[in-house]
Amino acid sequence: MKIKDICKKKEKLLRLKKDEFMELPFPYNKGDFEPELRELTADQFQTIDASLDGISALGMRKPKSKEEENELVRKFISGLEKLLDPDNNWTFLMPLHHSLEYCVKCQLCSEYCPIYVSSGKKEVYRPTFRAEVLRRIIEKYVGNKGRLRLKLSGSDIELNWLTISRLGELAYRCTLCRRCAMACPLGVDNGLITREIRKIFSQEMGIAPKELHELGTMQQLRVGSSTGITPKALSNIIEFMEDDIEEKIGRRIKIPLDKDGAEVLLLHNAGEFLSWPENVEAFAIIFDIAGIDWTLSSELLGYDAVNYGVWYDDIQFTRIAIKHVEVAKKLKVKKINVGECGHAHKAMIVVADRILTEDMNIPRESALPLLKDLVVGGKLKINPQRNNFPVTLHDPCNIVRLMGIGEPQREILKRVCTDFREMEPCGVENYCCGGGSGFAIIQSLNFPDWRSSISGRMKLKQILEAFQGVISPEVKKYVCAPCSNCKGQIRDLFNYFDVNKKCGIFYGGLVELIVNALDDLKKPFIEWEWH
Amino acid sequence: MGVFTYFAYFFIVFMYSVKIVKYIKLPVHLRWELYPIGHEKKSKYGGSYLEEKDWWQKPRKKNTWKSFFSLLREYFVLSDYAKRNITYWIGIYPWHIGFLLIITFHILCFVSGLLLAKGFDVSSRSLGFGSKFLYYGILITGSISFFSGMIGSIGVLMNRIFRRDLREYATPLNFLTYFFTFLVFFTGFYSWFFTDPEFKEYRIFWAGLVTQDFKDVGFWTMIHILSFDLFLIYLPFTRSLHYITRFLAFFLIRWDDEPNIPGGRLEKKLIRLFEKKVSWSAPHIQKGKKWGELARSIP
Ligand code: SF4
Ligand code: SF4
Repeated sequence: MKIKDICKKKEKLLRLKKDEFMELPFPYNKGDFEPELRELTADQFQTIDASLDGISALGMRKPKSKEEENELVRKFISGLEKLLDPDNNWTFLMPLHHSLEYCVKCQLCSEYCPIYVSSGKKEVYRPTFRAEVLRRIIEKYVGNKGRLRLKLSGSDIELNWLTISRLGELAYRCTLCRRCAMACPLGVDNGLITREIRKIFSQEMGIAPKELHELGTMQQLRVGSSTGITPKALSNIIEFMEDDIEEKIGRRIKIPLDKDGAEVLLLHNAGEFLSWPENVEAFAIIFDIAGIDWTLSSELLGYDAVNYGVWYDDIQFTRIAIKHVEVAKKLKVKKINVGECGHAHKAMIVVADRILTEDMNIPRESALPLLKDLVVGGKLKINPQRNNFPVTLHDPCNIVRLMGIGEPQREILKRVCTDFREMEPCGVENYCCGGGSGFAIIQSLNFPDWRSSISGRMKLKQILEAFQGVISPEVKKYVCAPCSNCKGQIRDLFNYFDVNKKCGIFYGGLVELIVNALDDLKKPFIEWEWH
Repeated sequence: MGVFTYFAYFFIVFMYSVKIVKYIKLPVHLRWELYPIGHEKKSKYGGSYLEEKDWWQKPRKKNTWKSFFSLLREYFVLSDYAKRNITYWIGIYPWHIGFLLIITFHILCFVSGLLLAKGFDVSSRSLGFGSKFLYYGILITGSISFFSGMIGSIGVLMNRIFRRDLREYATPLNFLTYFFTFLVFFTGFYSWFFTDPEFKEYRIFWAGLVTQDFKDVGFWTMIHILSFDLFLIYLPFTRSLHYITRFLAFFLIRWDDEPNIPGGRLEKKLIRLFEKKVSWSAPHIQKGKKWGELARSIP
């Protein structure tokens, strides 16, 4: 396949065949264990473009007329110009400039990309592919360049609606894990280029996966959470959790809500309240025992740490970051602690750091160092024998490679479990769960199939390898994933491959393991119920 | 030829400077660091100051020299390539060494030109240590550079031609560059090996440049100098500045973990950036607003 094929009229640039994907370890190395990737239905096919690889994350509508096609091209070029403009894109122009200008196309980064490798090294998924397409489009369509320059720079791509639609989809075939960037000796970041392409689509053309935009940032700004939970619903959920805690540990705990002047405002990904309330409960138990002065918030956005803007739209990202801090200011807390949510960590603590100036610059930190201090400092009475099952740790890219927080969770696991085993590779070299950059929440059309069979494949391989000696379903095993989105992805991935039944592997957060190891607990906190 | 050489040097310095200034003057960006970070004390495993509870109350120690030297070291070993793709390294390593040494060779030639102009002798018979050092320095850097660069040019070209993934991403400009570098190194090698084994002509040429009393040199030396001059003029139109921007990318982007301290210089810069007018036109972005206004608006 050639780069310029991106603009060719063809039903699909790539036909995905599961027998060409990267092989998985035992017990998935024999037999037909893997479902076929779903095709779009005939109806969907009529209206939605999936000419990249038969998959659709964006649900891009096929233009109905030549005018619509031209309009798409016009808007794309106008977005591209804004992307390269220091006023419109001061936020990321320097890293973008570097990545566009100084890649020498040595392809050293390719082998580092889990998606490219998992797919059986399909050219369109190569980290440099979409970057090179963008580069060639810029070369040809932005600014006036002479014919000689165009010839020498190999600018051979025609910018038609197919190119645009495929490039838009391609921007959602990369989890922004930035493993490729880590491998680049020249500091080029193909993950960043992907994110910038997403920005053209969202900020100029108004196109983004609906789970990220309409149901994500827009809903969050409107009703308080991308899950749709309203402040009223939150109070009910908290009451339910207090009952649940009482039942589990035989003691009622008051989960503090909107406590003025508390030391810590704890922000959870609201997905935890709905899908993994045990994570929120475990935090409450630990903080209660340790005597932390903390609170949750019921203000709009104050109970949902997510900020999907960080994946596709600087404006939406900024709006949400500011709202989060306004909640903390109103409560007069001393600092914000982010619970087990990777992208919220990165968004709130790191990326928003240069948005939050003056009185908005409230101290923000990860909850992991605090948890480590509590476990290591002896504030909690731990009996690792209570976690006497094999445990492996998934490193969320946002927390580890993109923030440098890798040791606290390991210090904790070494103390609360008897059989902690690292995945290979781990730490900053980890592989993404496959659900990064919003993939975990994109549930529409046939994208979830691709997410499991390709983008999560490397993680599945790593997990299976970590447990190879004890892979039988009779032995209960635990993948510790201290991130909501990673948990969502691992849940879907395990369902797709039926991992829980076939191998007895469960998943969950870090705090659940800590609470499960508490010495004076009457019954286990972890219930091993698949959900 | 002397004037042309002046021009070539001036041109490349000017063009590179313009590009570097343009790069550095780009607005400060949102944080986008990537670990491991060279100056972090926990860089061995990729840890950061964010691993500490209440990190903003703790003193932050940056080991900038360590990170600087680790980057610098890479220029001489290219270990990332050696570790991850040895066949690519086999081509690229001699090529890069060729460049590094040709730069050193020219600096030494320039210094020897200065000495010659002042009446010192720079030859194998020189008595002074400095002159001897220059003589042998020029001999060693020049000969190795030309040989290594010549072999390397063929190596990178072969890699680009025979590896499909490299070929597909190469532009005609890449091939022109390989051809050009081969020409430069080959003519250098030829003139040294067959006509000027002590690089005497170069020293004379450089002395002429310094005194502006240009001297004639042999045919092959002239061809090499001309091709090198042309190459200098050509370089700014390629991605060659990555030698320098690599430093900028690591220090200004990948390792830029500088927190925004209230009242600090960074904050002042950011506040100015919030005044920028934004013209993105998706439905959720109101027209005609400044960045700061948009950030506080509801779509
Ligand atoms: S991004 Fe870096 S590693 Fe990848 S091809 Fe470009 S220069 Fe090479
Ligand atoms: S950021 Fe991750 S998923 Fe995207 S191209 Fe790089 S390695 Fe692949």
